[in-house]
Amino acid sequence: MLSYEYLISILGVIFLITIISLIAFVISKMEKIKQLSSVIESLSKSLDEMDEQAKLIVRTDIELSKTQEELDKKIAGLYTLQKLSRAISTTLEGSQIFKMVEANYLENLGFEKAYGFLWDNQKNEFSLQMSIGYSEEEISTTKAAITTDKNFFLNLIRNEKTTSSMSLTDTTLKTKIENILRSPAFVVTPILPKEGEKGFFAVATENTDTPITDGDEELITILANEIGQALENARLFEKTWHTQQQLEQKVEERTRELTNVLNAVKTINKRKSDFVSNVSHELRTPLTSIKGYAAILLTGKLGTLPPEAKERLEKINRHSDELGHIVNDLLDISRIESGKMIMNLGKHNLKEIISKADDLLSGQLKEKKINFNINIDPDASVLVDPEQIGRVFINLIGNAMKFTPAGGKISISARKLNDGMVQVDISDTGCGIPLGDQEAIFEEFFRVENAINQEVKGTGLGLALVKRIIKAHQGKIWVKSTLGSGSTFSFTIQQG
Amino acid sequence: MSINVGVGLSTAKDPIHAAQEALQRARTRFLREKIDLVFVFSTINLSTLVILETIQTFIPEVPIIGCSGAAIIHDKNSYNNGLIIMLLGFSKEVYFNTACVSNIKNKTPIHAGEELGEKLLYGFKDIRRDLGLIFCDGLIDNTQDLVNGMQERLGKSFPLVGACASDNLKYIRTNIFHNAETLSDSACAMLWGGKINFGLGIKHGWKPLGKQHLVTKSRGNIIYEIDSRPATYLYEEYLGCDVKKLQNELRFISVLYPIGIYVPGEEEYLLRNIHSIENDGTLILQGSIPENSQVRLMIGTKESCLQATDQAIDAVNKELAGKSANFILVFNSISRHILLRRDAEKELEIIKKQFGDEIPVVGLYTYGELAPLTAIGYHGKAYLHNQTVTLLAIGG
Repeated sequence: MLSYEYLISILGVIFLITIISLIAFVISKMEKIKQLSSVIESLSKSLDEMDEQAKLIVRTDIELSKTQEELDKKIAGLYTLQKLSRAISTTLEGSQIFKMVEANYLENLGFEKAYGFLWDNQKNEFSLQMSIGYSEEEISTTKAAITTDKNFFLNLIRNEKTTSSMSLTDTTLKTKIENILRSPAFVVTPILPKEGEKGFFAVATENTDTPITDGDEELITILANEIGQALENARLFEKTWHTQQQLEQKVEERTRELTNVLNAVKTINKRKSDFVSNVSHELRTPLTSIKGYAAILLTGKLGTLPPEAKERLEKINRHSDELGHIVNDLLDISRIESGKMIMNLGKHNLKEIISKADDLLSGQLKEKKINFNINIDPDASVLVDPEQIGRVFINLIGNAMKFTPAGGKISISARKLNDGMVQVDISDTGCGIPLGDQEAIFEEFFRVENAINQEVKGTGLGLALVKRIIKAHQGKIWVKSTLGSGSTFSFTIQQG
Repeated sequence: MSINVGVGLSTAKDPIHAAQEALQRARTRFLREKIDLVFVFSTINLSTLVILETIQTFIPEVPIIGCSGAAIIHDKNSYNNGLIIMLLGFSKEVYFNTACVSNIKNKTPIHAGEELGEKLLYGFKDIRRDLGLIFCDGLIDNTQDLVNGMQERLGKSFPLVGACASDNLKYIRTNIFHNAETLSDSACAMLWGGKINFGLGIKHGWKPLGKQHLVTKSRGNIIYEIDSRPATYLYEEYLGCDVKKLQNELRFISVLYPIGIYVPGEEEYLLRNIHSIENDGTLILQGSIPENSQVRLMIGTKESCLQATDQAIDAVNKELAGKSANFILVFNSISRHILLRRDAEKELEIIKKQFGDEIPVVGLYTYGELAPLTAIGYHGKAYLHNQTVTLLAIGG
């Protein structure tokens, strides 16, 4: 019995210990659970907080993305605009300006359709300048619709204001424009050149994913301004070009008139030369006869002549000689002018040519006691026809001698020029030539009016002939002279 | 070399002119006489029947497969208007078969997938198959089912890689090219076997953000409820805006903040783009999402996106294990193009630079990419992905 009780009490103790242990375990577990719950709670709180942060991140991120897209769009738009502007601004033909706006540029600006219209004052309606992305049928419908609703576009031009599917608040009007442009997203902006017809530029897209923004409006406005500016430039250029064309036409007409006159003058001149040549030729034959008969009479073969008659005959002979010279000179001038006289060019010693002329004139030089000085390099060679250049020297030295008083001085010098020519100067200490006559002396039959010329006979053909001979040698002749102190005749001929 | 490749690009706007130009360019680069297969990738404006007819005039009776894209990829550039023709010539040790399935909606995607799988297997009975390539209409509701159907026939672990065709972001019609047909509501595919080797890399670079959520009600590609609340609640909470605003900003939301499905063992979350947002708070996705999926809101940046490209290249090289590739196919999500914007070509430059000038890189921007999951539990089963860059290097 005792052992049974004892057993029960032992079991009771064990049970009690177990219960106590269990309670202790449960308490410790509960403590642990409490701790874990606190951790979970804290983690959950952190997670909630992180979730809130995530929300902030997403909201900021979407704004950033939108801004970036707008920025990207603007950069791409500006880049395109720059390229397009360059193309437009270098176009000076009004009709070509609108054509510069090509589909790929438009695509880069975010649009696939476009219209360009300018006001036609004569027809009192808008006239189409360009279209992209529309069919022929759509274009003709649009033209009619724009004529019907022209006031909207005229107001746009008047107010100088860009509008778009974003900024247009009047929904009826918006729908109307949407229908005209056949797209839900659009920008319409006026084209405002300072001069000439104004108009408008409309771009549209069916893509509603990227809504129209202020940036789009700005870009399209800039583009329309560029078009306006280019139209203005084209018009100015056209105006200038037109004026220039008129001017060129006038110049051309005037040149034609002058050429005609010049040709007429040339014909007349040729006729004159021909006439002079013919007359001179015709004069020579009877002159030779006169001179011949006079010479026969003077020989006395036909009977002795009374001294008076002989004297008269000698005068006839002398005058015939003079007339013969005049006729020959005239004939030579006209021959040179008409190109009939060919210069027999060759290399010759200049000093020798001068010496031959000097031989002919030395008697008269001595007679007038003129100091004649030739200052020429003995080896100087020139490319000339020696006979003709000899005549030049005879004429020029003869003239110098004629107008230089007794005891005066005549000198000849020559120097090489850089351009392959030789300049010959014949100076005298004669009476000189008035400045006003210095050019005219080279014209036919011109004679300076002075005392000597009144006394000394001359034909007025010598210098004219000299000038033509020099010209035929591709040279030039001129004179420098001071009244009372002498003249220097200079001419150029080719070096030999 | 058991595979010979000739790639030709044209950016002409007239389809016939484009086809002639691209074909001529491809032929000048193609060194063999016999052309066995033609890949065609084209932007939607050029993806017309005349392209295929023009190709068949010059190369009759050669199988053609391909699809339309929002933009096409040729080496380091992408083109909004363009056509790529890739001519392929194989040695006798390389085997392939192409097939096509139409009327997917009527047939249901799963049955259509099975049909496509069967057609591919026909004529491929005693040959070991190594790789399947698929191009499917990008506007099919449940592409995953189509893939599942195919894998019913081809094997659940059979490597299947592909692209969902796209249009110019209008979501109106995408085109599949098969021989002389341009098709919608269709898919075309090819089986590849014999002496070929390939390397696959698929990454997106989006990171999870905020708490985990549970898809409590969904069917196919529609999520009705997340955490027992209307599905849009997730976006309303994070973006701080109502359904109306969410609908207006869908373009941003879909690209920047897709939904990420947690796949145990997978390095990255499986992404789903939002296709549309209904007024009642329902989200319609570009791919299916099973009920009770654990999902997170995802966030991507340009940097993380480009980092993923590098990782995808690494994965390709790892799989190639030193073997050479003859060409690289790139199926790049259109979302990446939208996110990267001006840097989109930078991504292509990275790819081109890695594989070198000699190896042609061709592909397109897609509405979805198809590739196996790498997590062991999925046994290489192919899934529809969004937002990824999928690189497939093929050599022989």
